[in-house]
Amino acid sequence: MSDLIPVKFCNGCGYPIILMLLNKILKEMDLTSQTVLGLDIGCSLLAVNFLPVNTFQTHHGRVTPTMMGFKRARPNSICIGCTGDGGAYAIGLQGLAHAIKRDEPITVIVVNNTVYGMTGGQVTPTSLHQQKTETSPEGNIDHPLLGPEFFKPIAHKDAFLARTAANDPKQIQEFLTKAIETQQAGHFSLVEILSFCPTHWKTKGVETINYLNNLKETFKPGTL
Amino acid sequence: MVDANKKFITGADMAVKAAIDAGAQMMYGYPITPATEIFTGWIKNKQNFLQTEDEISAGFAVCGGVLAGQKAFSASSGPGHVLMQDGFIMAEGMRLPFVLFAAQRGGPSSGTVIYSQQEVMLACYGGNGEGMRLVYSPSGPEELYALTRRAFNEAWKYRFPAIVLTDGYTLKEKSIVDFSLINDVENFPAYPLVAEGQNIHWPNIFTSEEELNHELNLAKADFDKITPLVATSEIIQTDDAEVILIAHGIVAVAAKEALAKLRLENQKVGLFRPITLRPFDKVTLDKTVGGKNVKQVIVIESSFGQLARLVKDSMDTTLGKPFNYIQYPALGIEIEEMVSEIKKIII
Amino acid sequence: MIYKVLLAGDGGQGVQTIADLICRAAFKKGLEVTEIPNYGLEQRGGASLSFVQISDTKIGYPKFSCADLMLIISNQGRERSLAQKGANTQIIDIKDFKDELEAKKISSQNINIFFLKVLASFFEENGIFNKVDLEQVFEEKFGKKENWLEIKDIFNK
Repeated sequence: MSDLIPVKFCNGCGYPIILMLLNKILKEMDLTSQTVLGLDIGCSLLAVNFLPVNTFQTHHGRVTPTMMGFKRARPNSICIGCTGDGGAYAIGLQGLAHAIKRDEPITVIVVNNTVYGMTGGQVTPTSLHQQKTETSPEGNIDHPLLGPEFFKPIAHKDAFLARTAANDPKQIQEFLTKAIETQQAGHFSLVEILSFCPTHWKTKGVETINYLNNLKETFKPGTL
Repeated sequence: MVDANKKFITGADMAVKAAIDAGAQMMYGYPITPATEIFTGWIKNKQNFLQTEDEISAGFAVCGGVLAGQKAFSASSGPGHVLMQDGFIMAEGMRLPFVLFAAQRGGPSSGTVIYSQQEVMLACYGGNGEGMRLVYSPSGPEELYALTRRAFNEAWKYRFPAIVLTDGYTLKEKSIVDFSLINDVENFPAYPLVAEGQNIHWPNIFTSEEELNHELNLAKADFDKITPLVATSEIIQTDDAEVILIAHGIVAVAAKEALAKLRLENQKVGLFRPITLRPFDKVTLDKTVGGKNVKQVIVIESSFGQLARLVKDSMDTTLGKPFNYIQYPALGIEIEEMVSEIKKIII
Repeated sequence: MIYKVLLAGDGGQGVQTIADLICRAAFKKGLEVTEIPNYGLEQRGGASLSFVQISDTKIGYPKFSCADLMLIISNQGRERSLAQKGANTQIIDIKDFKDELEAKKISSQNINIFFLKVLASFFEENGIFNKVDLEQVFEEKFGKKENWLEIKDIFNK
């Protein structure tokens, strides 16, 4: 990773933390050169030249089937799809659900900030009830989708579904390691990571951390 | 008395055989009439496959496979073709050798499950791009085989996604094919576009207009460079022709027979048959339409003018020959009907 | 020589089977042949048509506007094939065989075999191929079936 690449994520975004921890895990497991990182077209696209890992963008909501295709073509690669809550649980829900149902041996990291960040902060399937966004100005009518819980009934018993948060680096590393090990064992893994988004939460400093910790009341960290 | 080289075979099975002979390794598919038999035929031949939950997933899985260096492909039709263009345009943007069989059926919407030539625009310019893809339109099962071989080779050689544009009649038709007349060609090998340890960083989205404009110009330069090598057509009896018929695919099969009948009646009719729709063989088109005896051009298709648009778009605008159209959207055109329609409008 | 045959019936009556056998007989004789089915949406019960062309030279376009011979084995088939009926089209229509079918006790699922035999005579009369050619491919296709003798019997009735 070069010091010369400008960090394009917003100040206070959770992505750099998550990506750097992923990089650390891959290095420790000596999997950097085998890994292929696919990105959604959302905030995750900014990771295209962030890690010393083969990385490519896919389409919004389509990282799961793309990585599935790559993995089936090159089974000894480590295929990781990185997407947001919208890409995973709205437009990408169908592809993700079926990959889980088929137990495709790929890893999907869902960076959950409860909004569509790149497009300005619109409502997503994980937005909280009554959360106000540009596209839910009167407050979100729905209740949030809890991804790992939602998929648990159709996942293989040896698949790994978990949730953690950007302010828990130890757990992130633990879960990402387990996720990759699960892939190596031939099963699907998904790690949802609650992530900071001061830009759209309109929070500053410690407010951002409080907002994140508050999300944990709804989105419970742990394994499924 | 049966020649061992001859087989009574469907168009779909010819497509499957061509994909196998081309070294295709993986098919992602979804059932949709009339493309389903390409999928089931591939599967019956014990080839690697996956039925996905929809054509969107199939399209992106092909992209994933191709990125890893696998000769992956798919087949669809109609509303499925619409969804398949989602993954196909990522292939267009990233120059991925995605090969797709598009079997035209009636449209729009669910239309019919049978036949049309209404997916020409979708194949040639589908999605939100500039049509930087290779599109082949075979006439008959032997050409379906040959153009499928070309599609795999040229997609991988020139790094443009490719569509073999066929239709429900061609795929379901059973005919006798003499395999001793089928040419085998060398296969261009697939290779990993993302190699292990390569540390590639590959976007399909750009920050500024200038960046994308630059990328598009590079792609266009490549597309123009390969045009003389790829653009293909067939001309029949055009030297002294006063009327040029233009048709593609299975309609051209009928047009050839209509032409023969008209010639017997001393009508000086010729045929220009585009074999590639993208890139279009403009050079031969202009030469043919510009012929000194040519008084009229008649474009014949099972669509409201999708082929005609390609022709007019490619053609030298100074040629100034009058155009007429025989347009039967979603309907086959029998030889006798074609002859009768041509006679009605011949100048 | 080119001979255009349109077979028309209901899905499930075995129209495609008849078409397939005719084509195989022609193929075996070294003739050129094309066959293209035309059916609606229903998996069961809709109309089922087959356009067959037999020639001594390679055939181009698989469909045709006017049949030389039509076999009609259902009302739906009759309706759907009207367009291909010409002034000189020879027609074998099930409605003209009602009595014979009853007398020979041909069940609805064996109608196609009965008409295969009728067609066999027709093709021989018109010099396309001999009854024997059709019998041979018929046996190749059905010979290994459990009820082969029963089927053969119907064909020979």
